This record gives sequence, C-alpha cells and structure tokens, in this order.
Amino acid sequence: MSSIDYFQLLKLAGPEAVLALAALAVLAVDLIWMREAPIRQRQGAGAFVSILGCLGAGLCALQMPGFGSFANGMLVIDPLTLLLKGALLVLTVFTVLLSVDRDFTEHVGEFFALILLATVGMMLLVSSEDLLMIFVSLELTSLSLYILTAFQKRSALSAEAALKYFLFGGMAAAFLLFGLSLLYGLSGSTHLGGIAEGLVGKENDPLLIVALAMTVIGFGFKIAVVPFHLWAPDTYQGAPLASAAFVASGSKVASFFVLAKVMMLGFAGVHGDAGWRHLIAGWAPLLAVLALLSMLLGNLVAIVQGNVRRLLAYSAIAHSGYALLGVMSNSGEGMASLVYYTVTYGLTTLGAFGVVALVEERTGSASLSSFAGLGRRSPILGLSMMVFMLSLAGIPPLAGFFGKFYLFVGAIRTGSPNIGLVWLVVVAIAMSAVSLYYYLQVLKQIYVTEESAATVDVTGETNIVTCCAVGALAVLVVLLGCFPNLLVGPVLAATGSAGL
Amino acid sequence: MTTEYDPYLFLAVFLGIALVFPLAPLGLARLWAVLYSNNKPGPIKNATYECGLESKGDARVQFRSDYYLYGIVFLIFDVEALFLLPFAVAFTGLPMGAIVAMLVFLLLLVEGLVWAWKKGVLSWT
Repeated sequence: MSSIDYFQLLKLAGPEAVLALAALAVLAVDLIWMREAPIRQRQGAGAFVSILGCLGAGLCALQMPGFGSFANGMLVIDPLTLLLKGALLVLTVFTVLLSVDRDFTEHVGEFFALILLATVGMMLLVSSEDLLMIFVSLELTSLSLYILTAFQKRSALSAEAALKYFLFGGMAAAFLLFGLSLLYGLSGSTHLGGIAEGLVGKENDPLLIVALAMTVIGFGFKIAVVPFHLWAPDTYQGAPLASAAFVASGSKVASFFVLAKVMMLGFAGVHGDAGWRHLIAGWAPLLAVLALLSMLLGNLVAIVQGNVRRLLAYSAIAHSGYALLGVMSNSGEGMASLVYYTVTYGLTTLGAFGVVALVEERTGSASLSSFAGLGRRSPILGLSMMVFMLSLAGIPPLAGFFGKFYLFVGAIRTGSPNIGLVWLVVVAIAMSAVSLYYYLQVLKQIYVTEESAATVDVTGETNIVTCCAVGALAVLVVLLGCFPNLLVGPVLAATGSAGL
Repeated sequence: MTTEYDPYLFLAVFLGIALVFPLAPLGLARLWAVLYSNNKPGPIKNATYECGLESKGDARVQFRSDYYLYGIVFLIFDVEALFLLPFAVAFTGLPMGAIVAMLVFLLLLVEGLVWAWKKGVLSWT
C-alpha cells in the first residue's frame, strides 16, 4: 500500500488551505457575530476577512520552496504556477472590493465564501498536471461561479443567466470528461507528460481526433470562444456585477493557462500546423479556426450592442480569439505572452466592470446612453474608463497594447517553415482596428454626448471603495503598459525555469 | 490453422446473443397468441395493472420546497457514512496524516450542518 505524505501535501497546498479556511471563517463571522448587523457592515466584515485570507494565502505562497511536486504531478509548484496564483489572488482581491457596499443579496457570507472557494479551484487548476485533478478543480471553480451568477435572487435576469451558464457548462463538462477519458484510454496515463509519451506513434488514431475535439470543446466553453460563446453575453448582462467581473477575469486567466498546459504538454506530439497553405492536422489548426471565428464574430457583433455589459461580453469573446494565438505559438515565449495578456486583460476588464457598476447604481441601467456626460460628472471615472477602453482596444502606452504586440510577435516567430501564423495575425490586427470603433462609441458617450435627464443622479451617493478600486486598476493598467517588464520579467524567468 | 485474434469479434458475438436472447421468447409468445388463443378483451384484462389500485388525479402535485433542503442535508450525511465505514475498518492501520485528513473532511461536513442549522433550514415554518 502506498501511503501519502499528508504533511508534504499540506505544505505544498498551503495557499489553497489558507483560502479554504478563510472561506469557512467568512461564513462563521457572518453567521455568528454579524447576523443582526446592517447589510453594509456585514459586507465590510466579509470583505475584510476575505482580503485577509487572500493576503495570508499570498504570504504563504511567498514562503514556498521554488519547486515541488506531489503525487506524480497532482500538484506542481514552480515559479510559473506561483506567479499565476499571485495574479489570481490580486484579481480576487479586486473582485471582493467591487462587491462591497452593493445591495444585491442578503446572503453576504455565502457570497464571499463562494468567491474564495472559486479562487481555490482556480489556484489548484493552474498548479495541476494531472487530468483528474484538472477536472475536479475546474468543476469546483465552475460550480462556485454558477451559484455566484444566480446570487441576485430578486432579479429574473440573474436566474436566467445562471441557468444558461449552468446548462452550457454542464454540457461542456460532459464533453471534457469524455475527451479526457478517451485520452486516458489511448495513452494509459492521467499525467500530462505521460500522455504525451503514450501518444507517440498514435498520431493518426481516429480516437485521438475525437479526444482532441472533445477536450477543445470543453475548454472552449470555459474561455468563451465561438461557437461555444452563447452563454457569455447573457451571463455578463444578468449576473450580479462582481460575479460577472470574476467570470470575466479570474476564471479566464486560469482556464487559458490550463488549456495552454494541456495542449503544450499533453498533446505535445500532435501540434500540427496552422500555417497559411501549410495545414497539418493537429490541435493548432483546430484552435486557429476557433480563434478566427471568435475574432470575427466577437468584434463584429460588439459593434451593434447598446448595453455596455453585453459589449464587454462580445469584446471578451474577441479577446479570447487573440489570446488563442499565444496557445498556438506552442513555446515558452507564447506561454509568457499568454500569461501577460490574460492577466492584464483581467485587470482591465475588472476595472471596466467597476465603472459599469457605478454608472448602473447612478442611473439604473448599463445602456450606452446612461454613460452620457460621465466625463463631466466625475472626471476621474471618465478618465479611468478611457484608460480601460483604450487598453482593451490596444492603444499604446497601455497594457493592452503591449499584450497584443507581444502575442502577435510570439505568433509570427513560431517555428513554421512558411510565413506561419502571419495570416491569423493580419486578421487579428484588422479586427483590433474594428474594435476601436465600438470602444470609442463608449468614450464618445462619456466625453461628447450631453448629459440627459435619464442620466441624472438618482441616489446621490458614491461608492468610495469601488471608486478607489477602479482608480487603482487604472493606475495598474497604465503602469504595466509603460513598464511591461514589471510582469514580463518574472514571467519569462518563470517559464524559463519551468522548462517550457 | 491459426486464426488471428480479433477483440471486436467478441463484441459482434455478444451483440448477436443480446438480440436473440430477448427476441426469441417474445417471438414465440407472439406465435403462440396468433395460433392458439383468440382475442377476448374485457375491462379487467385492459386495466393498467392486474393488481393494486387504480390511480386517481394528476401525478404532478406540489411538494414543499423545504423537503428538498432536507433531502440535500440528508445526502451529505449519507455520503459521509460511505466514507466513514472504510475509515473505521482500517482505523488501526492508518498513519497520523490520514487521520488528520479524515478529521478535516468531517469538520467540513459538520460546518455544513451548522451552517444549514443557523440558516434555519431545519425548522419548518
């Protein structure tokens, strides 16, 4: 009987354990001491404990040894996964800040506990190289996110959004599980490295094609690429704001990272080639098709959206298309550009959702016209929104520009004999130009359109915490754009040492 | 003479047997009915069941939603028992770490119960 060293496990999974404890603590604090308190105080206490938990987990991650592996890749610690965990914790802290002083639920403790549990799932997701563990942590994340989406019980939209998200997600999980089981059957291993070894010599097996397609469908849903994107607009529109922001940021970062890992490590021998007139069957052409469709449909449909939340959803679909280029690069550089891109995208979209939250509270809707005159009403918010929108469009010197630049350079440099992925990069750049149009539509409302009666302040109070969070995010986006090496340096060092 | 071993041949044979096994008695019964018995329907013969009560009303009645919460809380402890039994059987041979892990698992379930209790799930109102 092989015995497991539980103390080693506890040491390697320290950050996750701290976060899980924090989730229980949030529940306990809310239920035992804060029951009778007004809802704002309960939210403050919940957010405080959650942020303490994130800080604790971050400190715990700093204390970790640089490398470690538990039970044959079930839990892998290296500088890259530690970096990803840190980024996820930062995104979680901002999500928690966005949900403070927001009147959407009376189950405060549960909301924060679920955010923390989803974060635990994401952190396990990025640090696992074993199919079983990947699936279990993906489900932990997804289940928490479904509930978070349904949290606004008084709103029918929220229930509809959650139901759509849940049904699509359940189907996608079934596909993923089927694909993974075929993969195990073919290779005889659940460890990503073992799978790559087991697949040698079976490149033309029809079962492998089925397994690959099923796996891509399963992950394609999580990252919302066309044609698996249908849940995204409704979920972004109907979910409580903090949940939508979390679905758009943290879960995207974790899912993209694990997709890249499964493709680059697990399907290492069946990369194929997506070069222009140089197609070779494998996962690269498959992802190339998804990326192409996402960039085209996401950007073109975003143009006609009148609701900023839906606009952000379609822009998220388009950004998933760009980010797939990083996966297709299939190199350490591609991985580094993917990490930089998804993390900065997460920060930017969190900030944009923060502004949407403040506008929604003021005017009662997230339609484009309710942004009219925001630049004059509150200059700082208008400026922040400008930073986020221009960064999403990819204007220098903001983080979005460098992220895209880095992605595209990585894709062009990828080792195809001909001009390689240049055709896809050309499409991506053209579509970025298209996207500038609808991002500028939002800015036009903010700076040019006159304030109308519909946008007059109805509440008269501003949410200080959200304002501060939005400001901090805007500063971060500018900072990471001007000095990309702040993030790229550590990421490159980490990918180098992780052997990618 | 040696024939090559084909794993799919078994499946084909099994498929054949699986089809013949239920279809043969059904076909024989049908044949018997056509040849030897004549058709005499009656109210009793046409009843849904030969014994038991005739059902009344609609099957779609409303349950109290509280019932589902009870069901879910019960399910937690049902699953817990599933893990506790092997734990109890192997208890003497377990290392310290395994016992700590099991206690953590129990703690999580207890926290779930306390949460449900505090939320008032267990009181019918």
